[in-house]
Amino acid sequence: MTAPESFTSVSRRLSSAFVGVVTLVLLIFAGLAIIIDSAKVSSELEKRLDTALELSTVSLPTPLWNLDNNVVDDFIAALFLDSAIVYAEVVWGDQLISKKSGENYNYEDSSEFSDPDKFIDQSRDILFEGNKVGTIRLVMSRESVKREFILTIIKITSLTVFIIAAIFLTSLLITRKYIAQPLSKLSESASSIALGNLETPVDKGSNDEIGQLAVHLDQMRRSIKDLFSEVHASKEQIEEYSRTLEQQVDVRTRELAQSVEELEALGEVSQVVGSSLDLGKVLGSIVRHAVLFSEADGGIVFTFDQVRQIFALKTSYGVSQNFEEELRRSRIRKGDNSALGQASTKGEPVQIADLSTLAEYPLACVHQEGYRALLAVPLIHEDELVGGLVVMRKHAGTYPERAVNLLHTFAAQSILAIRNARLFEEIEEKGRQLAQADKHKSEFLANMSHELRTPLNAILGYTELILDEIYGEVPEKIEEVLKRLEKNGRHLLSLINDVLDLSKIEAGRFTLTLGEYSLIELIQTVYTSVDSLAAEKNLSMKMNLPEKLPIGRGDDQRLTQVLLNLVGNAIKFTDQGEVCIEAQVEDDRFLVSVADTGPGISEDDLSTVFREFHQIDGSSTKQKGGTGLGLSIAKKIIEMHGGRIWVTSAIGRGSIFNFSIPMRVENS
Amino acid sequence: MSKSILVVEDQEDNRRILRDLLSSKGYEIIEVTDGLAGVEAAKREKPDLILMDIQLPGIDGYEATRRIKAEPDLAGITIIAVTSYALSGDKQKALEAGCDGYVAKPFSPRQLLAEIEQHLA
Repeated sequence: MTAPESFTSVSRRLSSAFVGVVTLVLLIFAGLAIIIDSAKVSSELEKRLDTALELSTVSLPTPLWNLDNNVVDDFIAALFLDSAIVYAEVVWGDQLISKKSGENYNYEDSSEFSDPDKFIDQSRDILFEGNKVGTIRLVMSRESVKREFILTIIKITSLTVFIIAAIFLTSLLITRKYIAQPLSKLSESASSIALGNLETPVDKGSNDEIGQLAVHLDQMRRSIKDLFSEVHASKEQIEEYSRTLEQQVDVRTRELAQSVEELEALGEVSQVVGSSLDLGKVLGSIVRHAVLFSEADGGIVFTFDQVRQIFALKTSYGVSQNFEEELRRSRIRKGDNSALGQASTKGEPVQIADLSTLAEYPLACVHQEGYRALLAVPLIHEDELVGGLVVMRKHAGTYPERAVNLLHTFAAQSILAIRNARLFEEIEEKGRQLAQADKHKSEFLANMSHELRTPLNAILGYTELILDEIYGEVPEKIEEVLKRLEKNGRHLLSLINDVLDLSKIEAGRFTLTLGEYSLIELIQTVYTSVDSLAAEKNLSMKMNLPEKLPIGRGDDQRLTQVLLNLVGNAIKFTDQGEVCIEAQVEDDRFLVSVADTGPGISEDDLSTVFREFHQIDGSSTKQKGGTGLGLSIAKKIIEMHGGRIWVTSAIGRGSIFNFSIPMRVENS
Repeated sequence: MSKSILVVEDQEDNRRILRDLLSSKGYEIIEVTDGLAGVEAAKREKPDLILMDIQLPGIDGYEATRRIKAEPDLAGITIIAVTSYALSGDKQKALEAGCDGYVAKPFSPRQLLAEIEQHLA
């Protein structure tokens, strides 16, 4: 601690204050003394003059009487012993008997003394036995008295100054000794404490307030010292905590970084497993990460050959070509003494911390290659051994738990990869089989269409020829049977066609052949082919068509099939009344409807008429035959044209089947 | 002089039906059972009309039609394709191959006859 710039000693301040007071008192006293003295001097001067005059009145009558002027002169001269007397004269009448001036006052003209401020001028008659013998005049100068007075003041002042100085010095010495020095010492101690020196005790010194202060300062020093040691201890503790904390943070950070790396590796592996079906690539990635994270020197993934009951090297990382070939030649079996053999038996990871401590190891090449520490993890999926993951390190020691856990995870990924690959192989095989089966089915369908219908065509052809009497006249009875034969044959043909169509739809092979067609012609064709059927049932067959319709584009054979189906159904289910085909154009679409006066369809059945294998359940409909496929096929065909088919009907009020299709279909 | 019709058909029953039907109507019938024979017979006999089955052993009906139509002196012969209904797109293919008409199986002899008579009229 440094003293402030305007440092002033306490002792000096105290002395100054003390001296100030003393000076004031002294000055007051001195002043009073001077005033009193000045009054005293003035009256004393008058008294002295009076005494001189009195002395003159006693001493001078005789000489004056005797006219002894010498004596008078002597007396006058003697009066001048008083320094204040500046002029003396003795006269008798007008006659000057004696006169004398002071050394500095050679006044001829005695009127000079008339100034009462400067001089006191008095005269007195000298009597001899009652007779006036002369007059004495004495002048006293106040100047000399003044000078004395000034002298006195100077003396007093000097004395005062001396006293003040003495007091000042004394008090200075005293305060220095008893206050300033102890205080200074205390200050030094305090300063030393402030600078951190807490060991040196504060000297008590005198047994007074300052001593007390020193005692308290020392107490303070001890307190601070205690406090300091406490703070120091706390600080050390905090530093220790801090160090521990830093270490913990370091450890955690490292752990976190490792976890992140692990996660990244796992993510990478998972991604490879998820995105690649190349088993070699996936397992390669897994074994690489396994080696890197277990800080091993090499690693191998084996798959387990269930048939030969041995492990086969699938992929490796970080091992020499030579070693790999050696391993391929070796037979690692489940349950043998190798790490993998043991792990596969136990169903859990097995590690060998130091190969060189083992008396023997089934795979000599591992030892020869310089590997010391092994960790083997079996790959087991649903109790089935599918392989093994082994990492190897060239220096001895246990693998950390983290590495073991991680390898566990990698093992799971490997299992997944192997399983995926197997599944993929299976799926590929199934796919091949399926494609083969599908091809067979298609071929079968094509053959069916030919093989089933060829004999049926022949039957129908011959029947028709007989009925047309190509082979001669046909008796009426036989003709009737032949017509039944023909009708049933055609029915069978339509059933076969329906089933084939449905098979094609299911196989996704049902396609449209688009071409231009005339809807009017199409309807007329259908009308012509069903007219005879309607006539047989005494139904009135009607058409309600515009004079002209635009040329459409679509699959006319399929559309014909749809319309034939609708009209055929209408005729089939209608016993009396009429069947009417209508067509019109509505917003670039053909709208075709087939209305009948049949029994109608109940509300419940309306929603299901277009479903496959569906026929309205009722005794009357059962008798009508059919597969129930026609409408579902019709619906499919219309939908493939980008159209819509629907029915409006009510029991007892007939049915109207409608479809609308775009006039021009560019692709199905 | 009666018109001659070449029937290219591997199915015996179909051939018989066509023969019985057409001969009863006074046509002269030439029958062959495969595509190559059909082409040969067309060159040799130069019939008025050919009923060409599509599914044939050896070259199929389309190929046979193309070969016949490629011969300048045979190109004028009417060829009606007779094919299976189930194979959608046959009509298109038949017309592209050069067929003049198309009859889908199962054909009604009456319908077939109507078609033939229309072409030969």
